[in-house]
Amino acid sequence: MIRLVRAELTKLATTRLIYGMAAAMAAFAVLTVAANILDRQGAPPLAADSLPVLVAAPVTLLSGAALLLGILGMAGEFRHQTVTETFLVTPDRGRVVAAKLVAYPLAGITLALSILAITAAVATGWLAAKGITPSLPEPVAYALGHVLLGAVLAAGLCALVGVGVGALVRNQVAALVGVAVWVLLVEGLLMSLLNAPSSLAKWLPSAAAAALTNPGGAGLSRLAGALLLTGYALALALIGTRLVVRRDIT
Amino acid sequence: MPVITIQGLTKRFGPVTAVDDLSFEVDQGTVVGFLGPNGAGKTTTLRTLLGLVTPTRGSASIDGRPYRELTDPIRHVGAVLEASSFHPGRSARNHLRVVATAAGLPLARADAVLDQVGLAEAAHRRVGGFSLGMRQRLGLATALLGDPQVLILDEPANGLDPEGVHWLRGLLRQLADQGRTVLVSSHVLAEVAQTVDQVVIIARGRLVTQSTLAALTARTDQLVRVRTPQAEALRSLLATQGIQADPDGTDQLLATGTTSETVGKAAAAAGIVIYEMGAERSNLEDVFLQLTTKQGA
Repeated sequence: MIRLVRAELTKLATTRLIYGMAAAMAAFAVLTVAANILDRQGAPPLAADSLPVLVAAPVTLLSGAALLLGILGMAGEFRHQTVTETFLVTPDRGRVVAAKLVAYPLAGITLALSILAITAAVATGWLAAKGITPSLPEPVAYALGHVLLGAVLAAGLCALVGVGVGALVRNQVAALVGVAVWVLLVEGLLMSLLNAPSSLAKWLPSAAAAALTNPGGAGLSRLAGALLLTGYALALALIGTRLVVRRDIT
Repeated sequence: MPVITIQGLTKRFGPVTAVDDLSFEVDQGTVVGFLGPNGAGKTTTLRTLLGLVTPTRGSASIDGRPYRELTDPIRHVGAVLEASSFHPGRSARNHLRVVATAAGLPLARADAVLDQVGLAEAAHRRVGGFSLGMRQRLGLATALLGDPQVLILDEPANGLDPEGVHWLRGLLRQLADQGRTVLVSSHVLAEVAQTVDQVVIIARGRLVTQSTLAALTARTDQLVRVRTPQAEALRSLLATQGIQADPDGTDQLLATGTTSETVGKAAAAAGIVIYEMGAERSNLEDVFLQLTTKQGA
């Protein structure tokens, strides 16, 4: 199993996809920091404890990118027909999906941590240029840790969901369009139908993901959100795998 | 002892029966040509053998076990399927390293097989820029990665230029000399005729014949072409003598498994007029064509 996970990570590291995504996300992260620093309308002035707020800005993007990565990693095998070789090497198709369920969260978390590190470095540097030395007294450090933990959890679990979606849908374009429609239209509609945040709306996948980076309130706790999202991902992956296992690869 | 066993294999895709109750065996250390026209069911059979397609009925096994039950299958069986199953953005060497990693093979094998198929210089190039011939070579490199004793090759000569085909023959011969078992499919008999010991010929998903290449060659020099205005009369006359003759055009017959002497005497005795007659050496391709088109037609 370990070598299958390593093979999946090697696959990721040997095409340009992840590097392109990392570059685009780093650029976006720097832009969000810039926007947050330059446009302070309605926000409290920059201070020594502004770092957590600035670092938190690109977090939603990280989950989205991890979701995309998971979908491309699973459905991409069918798109490029590399799945033939993959299943020749490992005829137990369930193990292939399982390896991806381990590898892609790892990749998503690595990607998230790299982008967060870049964001933090840029934010720290920019604050320093403005003569503000970020300090990390305990409450600020705690807030920062909070943001990082949420971001890492969300990135890992969204990658997991992505693999599940990819296993179920297989057609890469359909999977991407399907997820976009689900997140942008269907869930929004469901949320207003359920009069969000009512007791039902918080069980939706997006709400579970939101609970990871922004827990509490009327939504779920972070642990509950993480468990729920893992459940969604595994359910998708399990149904997907059952279908993949039977499917003829022609 | 058979290494590959296809037993009563049937595969339906919806209303289409791609493979129909097919059975044959491949013995250890033999090179077997798996022949049939396009759409005969060769690829479906091979994909079933490799566990990629689930049979509707029957079974396909390697060393007595279905492919899916082999541990580390690519150490036992190397396969070349269609040339497009590489990620276009990955280099040849990295493609092989991914496969080696998943199979627990040393990464150095990647460079060894690239050398073996003559792709060492293109090792770091992205596969997206490869010609069809280079992809076939990379496919062969992938098949050889685990140093398997059994090789299953689906139309490996597709896309190769004459020099490439020549090279492929040499490689197959070399693999056979090392005692490996090779099942190689083709829709052109001539492509594999110089390499194989045996042929399995299928058409419309059914077995036409399994024989040694020598037995197939023996069928080639027994063709008599007769031009006669009484083609139908001669055909039924020969049929009574157990000689098969097929009409070829309006006034011609093609008699198989006989000699000009036999046909000439029979025609003279029955007073049948003959304009022209001659023994022909059909080539292997004719035999192949005859075998594969006759079936079920």
